[in-house]
Amino acid sequence: MGGIRREDLFLGKEDFMGRNDDESESELGSGSDSESEEVPSSEPSKRAIYNREGILEKLEDISWPENVDWIHKLAVDLEEDKDLDVNDDIVRELAFYTQALEGTRQAYAKLHSQGVAFFRPPDYYAEMVKTDSHMLKVKGRLLEQKKKIEEAEERKKARESKKMAKEVQAVKLKERAKQKKEDIESVKKWRKQRQRSGFGADKGEDLGFNFDGGGGGGGFERSKKKRPGVAPGDRSGGSAKRNVGGKEKANRKRERRDSKFGYGGRKGLKKQNNAATTDDLRGFNKGDFSSKKRKKNL
Amino acid sequence: MSRYRHLMLNVVSLLPHCKKDNKVESTSSKGATLNELVELRNCSYCMFFECRKQKDLYLWMAKCPNGPSVKFLVNAVHTMEELKLTGNHLKGSRPILTFTTNFNKDPHWMLLKEMITQIFETPKDHRKSKPFHDHVFAFAIVDDHIWFHVMVLVLFPAFDSVLDIKWSKFQIVNQGGIEETTLVEVGPRFCLNPIKIFGGSFGGPTLYENPFYISPNQIRALEKKKKAGKYATKVKAKTRRKMHELENPLEPDEFADLWRE
Repeated sequence: MGGIRREDLFLGKEDFMGRNDDESESELGSGSDSESEEVPSSEPSKRAIYNREGILEKLEDISWPENVDWIHKLAVDLEEDKDLDVNDDIVRELAFYTQALEGTRQAYAKLHSQGVAFFRPPDYYAEMVKTDSHMLKVKGRLLEQKKKIEEAEERKKARESKKMAKEVQAVKLKERAKQKKEDIESVKKWRKQRQRSGFGADKGEDLGFNFDGGGGGGGFERSKKKRPGVAPGDRSGGSAKRNVGGKEKANRKRERRDSKFGYGGRKGLKKQNNAATTDDLRGFNKGDFSSKKRKKNL
Repeated sequence: MSRYRHLMLNVVSLLPHCKKDNKVESTSSKGATLNELVELRNCSYCMFFECRKQKDLYLWMAKCPNGPSVKFLVNAVHTMEELKLTGNHLKGSRPILTFTTNFNKDPHWMLLKEMITQIFETPKDHRKSKPFHDHVFAFAIVDDHIWFHVMVLVLFPAFDSVLDIKWSKFQIVNQGGIEETTLVEVGPRFCLNPIKIFGGSFGGPTLYENPFYISPNQIRALEKKKKAGKYATKVKAKTRRKMHELENPLEPDEFADLWRE
């Protein structure tokens, strides 16, 4: 411990004033600052002034007289949480919230007993501290957040249901395949039975093998389904989306108009070279071989 | 920088009994100027927001003409314009002040509490005050800083998600009794670090100096110094390693010649 410091002159033997003393001792002992930053400052508390009497004097100076009603001060004191960690945001905020809530409860009790109107009635419209436009922004933001959460939930649900749907689909396909197999098996069985039991009453009939018609000629003909072909004028090579059904009308209308007003054919085809046009030199200049123009083209 | 101006405007809107004044040049005689201004406007207290280097905000609270004054460093500023602070209260209604009991533990906190009460509490029947009490100011001392919050009273029915609660609180004005009342933060909010308490208004004998206070300039200087030492420490580490290697030579490696051609 150093020599006499200024605070010592003011510190009495009272215990509750030990606070400053403790600080300064710890300062000297550890040699490091009490702040959370690692600042090796030179014992700042040595210079720290603490004029207790002066402070108390001033306090008396400015204080309102004792007999002032509480209603003028509206101040409530509340117990604080001793082990509040400043850096833990959530806990800290919660502490402030509980403090405020408790305070309002106590204030309400006091004011209610005095018969003072406390709550603002829902139809009391007056100027608020934040403008309506600002509150609209706040509302927008809250709505957005809500939407985002809901969308995320929906997406999750959709993913889940897709998974489920896939499984269900797989099962269904299996079922169908099984069913088909069974059908074929049953037909074969039936034929065998008929074979075994003889053909009895149906001699004139063919053996029941149906080769014509019915599903592509009984399997010997290729399916006559039209395969999509590429029209010669189609510059996208067949990959463009073709109009399906409902737009036929519009197409026909377009074609009608083209044939009526245009010079026929698609617009782009007008400038394509073909046998006739490559030999056609009508547009080129006929031999202006003057020196000026030739020099320009160099 | 501009959020400090917004903070000042927020505080002006919170205190209907205050009179806003124009900027004062920060000359050495600002104390006298400010005292004069306060006299002129017929007020008893002055809150002076001083922003230095476009980074640090200092708040003076002074009782004029010859009362005590305090200088604070303001941190953790959130203004009312932040969209996360969704509450809204009646402009001009008298607030309820709540303090933690550790304000009564030391004289300097007691003095600050008294000053705060006198500044922030709208006088009863002030001509600009409105009826009803629908918001609360919370002053708390945590880690030797004064934390300040403003909350509004709101009634809401039970909801499942936090967002639903916020949304409904946003829409519904208080409709019921005290038991169902909850709070929504209005803002602004800030954290005050007391630097010094003076006996006079904006000057005078120093009554209290905060032993834990380090000025932001000092903090920045120390950080720079820490960074500046990087190269020196690297060089030192290199030489140290060399010495160590010289002192403890390695045994010859048995496998050193294994792959030699």
